[in-house]
Order: sequence, then structure tokens, then C-alpha cells
Amino acid sequence: MWQYRELIKNLTTVELKNRYQNTSLGFLWSLLSPLLLIGVLYFVFRHIFGNEPNYLTNIIVGLLVFRFFSVGTASSLYSITGKPSLVTKVYIPRHILVLSTALANLISSLLEFLVLLPIVFLALGHLPFTVAFYPLLHFIYFWFVFGAGLILAACYVYFRDLNQIWEVLLNVLFFCCPIIYPLSIVPDYLMRYYMLNPVTRFMVIYRDVMVAGQISSVTNFAFVIAVAIAAYFVGSFIFNRMQRRFAEEI
Amino acid sequence: MSVIIVDNVSKRFRIPKEKRSTLFQNLVGVVKRQLEYEEFWALQDVSFQVEKGETFGIIGRNGSGKTTLLKILAKVLYPDRGAVTINGRVASFLELGVGFQPELTARENVYIYASILGMGKKQVDKVHDDIFEFAELKKFQDMKLKNYSSGMYLRLAFSTAIHAHPDIMLVDEVLAVGDEAFQKKCLAKIEEFRRQGRTIVLVSHNLGTVKQLCQRSLLLDNGRAVSLGTTDKVVTDYLKLLQGTT
Repeated sequence: MWQYRELIKNLTTVELKNRYQNTSLGFLWSLLSPLLLIGVLYFVFRHIFGNEPNYLTNIIVGLLVFRFFSVGTASSLYSITGKPSLVTKVYIPRHILVLSTALANLISSLLEFLVLLPIVFLALGHLPFTVAFYPLLHFIYFWFVFGAGLILAACYVYFRDLNQIWEVLLNVLFFCCPIIYPLSIVPDYLMRYYMLNPVTRFMVIYRDVMVAGQISSVTNFAFVIAVAIAAYFVGSFIFNRMQRRFAEEI
Repeated sequence: MSVIIVDNVSKRFRIPKEKRSTLFQNLVGVVKRQLEYEEFWALQDVSFQVEKGETFGIIGRNGSGKTTLLKILAKVLYPDRGAVTINGRVASFLELGVGFQPELTARENVYIYASILGMGKKQVDKVHDDIFEFAELKKFQDMKLKNYSSGMYLRLAFSTAIHAHPDIMLVDEVLAVGDEAFQKKCLAKIEEFRRQGRTIVLVSHNLGTVKQLCQRSLLLDNGRAVSLGTTDKVVTDYLKLLQGTT
């Protein structure tokens, strides 16, 4: 892996340059869509949930957490098929293609959260000290998204309708996460299943750490770490099995 | 010392009876229980060795498995049977300019392409000027690649590729780059590589080039190794084979 660091760096840079059209304003444009969504969600749903503490801040944090997963997996999906010549014409370890896409997403996401910090500061009047957990948390989340990306990218080579299926699933996921509504409206008998969703679990920790100023529970941390490790190993295993015939199928 | 050992390699391709590339079609296929594909052996029990410093040619008619073999050597395809052992850093030129980004400048692209070929940044810094010198593109370093002509594009790619200094080069018909003068330069460069003791595996339809460059060659026909030995002998066999079929 280490000998390919130069290649990983270059591919990540290319990914970012293409995404932001090689301009420094490009990143700001990419903020437009989440900002609009946040605005709409807030103005529509504040009449219902507006009494919840820190409702707006929680929407923003929730949406950014969701975006890291949705944008990350949706773009990883195309990371193999989108670069056919790097698969069929030259040998490089193919998980590098998924990794560089995932890293580009990590950087985008870090920038988004950087924009978020002053908003949290304005809304709360202070920054909770537990924000210090954020880098660790994002690191764990990254491995989860990368693992999921490996599975999707490999499967998409063989099943070309997976992108449409995944788009629908992401839509379902959006409403299965406590983004618009607070966790408290989920009925008790559903709660144990509801919390099996790793993205929800991540969302709860992010909000604890970044807004509520508490360290969240050990159970939550243990859960997401286990899920991230599992996603990475299962993803690598599936990817390695499937990548042997990539060059024939692409 | 053998740097490439190919031991009884076979490669099977699956030719689907109906194109089935979505999950939905696969599900339908499982329900219908049809045979999914026909098998086609592109290579069967091919064995040979390439010694260090040798220039080795692979010839054969269209569809005889030359490119499949080269792709297996490049690790792009996996053999279904048999094994390939390679000692040394391989650079494969199945296509020139893999990973070139039209929206970026020539200079940026050189760094990207070089890293795909396994070079570090410092190595590229050192040969950066030579690359543009050899490609005769010094004036156009900061031009975006999308504004390059196809000749310039290939010259830049070829020049970057040969400055990557691999131990083993796998070359697929890429010598037809640029005008007469540039082609001469390329052949001279490959000759220089040979003298430096680097190993080259060359796939070509141009028997003249093969005769000129390769000491030993392999003739493939329908995925089988028909003839292996000195290039003169193998080329004679190839010409016999061609006559036999017409």
C-alpha cells in the first residue's frame, strides 16, 4: 500500500479537481444543495418540531452525517466502472480506485463540517469541548463508508442496475434516520430495531459530541467501531473475490 | 535467470448467451434456469520463459490470444489454470496515456501517469525535463491536455512511459506513434533499453519490427503455443501457417 501513496494522492486530487471543476469556488457551489435542503426542511418542519432544543443545529449535523454516507457510497459505486482504462489497461491494486474516491469524499466532508463549526458556535454561544472527539469519530465513520463503497463498487461491475436500486435505498434511509424528526418520536417497541441502523447510531454520537456536549455512551461507540471494522473486512473480502474478473466484465 | 515464467496458463472467457448485466436480469435467469453462458478458451496450456535482458516477441493471427496473454502478464486478467511468476517491476503499455485527464495540464498529467506506472514524485522531478524534451513538447507543458492533438498526446504518453524505467516492459503495438522521425527515435530508445539489460515483451503484427528487435518469439494459434524459439524460426512457422489457411 505504501508504495502506492503517490498514486493514491494523485487520484484523490484528480477526483477533487474534477468534482469542483478546478476552481476554488467549486466547493462553495457544492454547499448550495445541502444548504437549500436544510433551509426547506427547517422552515417546513419547525412548526412541528420547532420546540425541540437546538432543532436547526441538529438538522444540519444530521444532514452532514447522512451526506457523508450517501454521497460517499453513491460516488464509490462508480469508482471502478468510471475508470475502465485503469482496470483493463494497466495493473494497479483496484481497491485504490475506491479508496481515492472515498478519500476525496472525506476531504469534502471535512470541509463541510468546517463550515458547520461556526454555525454551531453561533447557535449555542460556545463550542462544546467534546468536539475534540470529532476527528476520531469521522475516522471511524470513514472506514464504514469505505467498506460499504468497496461492496457497492464491486457489485456494480456485475449488476448495472445497482445504482438505481441504491438511489431508492438511500431515499428510504433518509427517512429512517432522525434527521427531520427527533429520536424521541420513535415508539419504544421499535427503538431496538431502529437503533440497528449504523447511520442513525453515528448521527446520535455526532449530535452528542458536537451539539449536546456529552461523550455519548460506550455502547454507541462500541457499536459503530464494530460496524466500521466489520464493513471494512467484509468489503475487502467481497471486493478481492470479485475483482478477479473486473477486466472481463467492465 | 528467468524473469517471467509462464507455466501451463489457460484462460477461459464466458460468452453470455444473452446479455445479462443487471440484477433484475440475473434474478429472471435464476427463475428460468437457463444455461447462462458458453465457454471459450482464449488460451490453453501456454508455457514459456523469458530470460533477463531478453526481448521476446509474441506473434499470431487476430484472435489467437496474444493480447489476452499480455494482459495476464500485466496482471489485468487472472489465469483460470496455471501460474505466472514475474520477478521485477513491470510496466505495461497495453495502451498509452492510461489515466490521462483532459481537463488538467500536460505537466500534471505526466505526474499522474508516472505514478500509475509506479514512479514517485522525486523520480519524476528528476526526469521531468527529459520527458518533455524527448516528446518535443517543451513549449506546451502548461497547456491543458484537451487542447493537445492526438499526435502530441501519444508522444507525451510514450515519453513518460519510457522514462519510468521498469525492469520489464510489456508492449502491445504501441510503436506506431507519431511520424517517421519520432518512430525511429522510439525504436532507438527500445534498442537502448535492450542494451541496458531490461526485459521487453512485444506483441506485434509487424514482422519486420519483431525480427529487428526480438531474439526469441512465441507463435500463438487459437490459444495454443504452436512454435517457440528463435525469431527467424517462429516467423517462418507463422508464414507457413498463414499460407496453409489461404
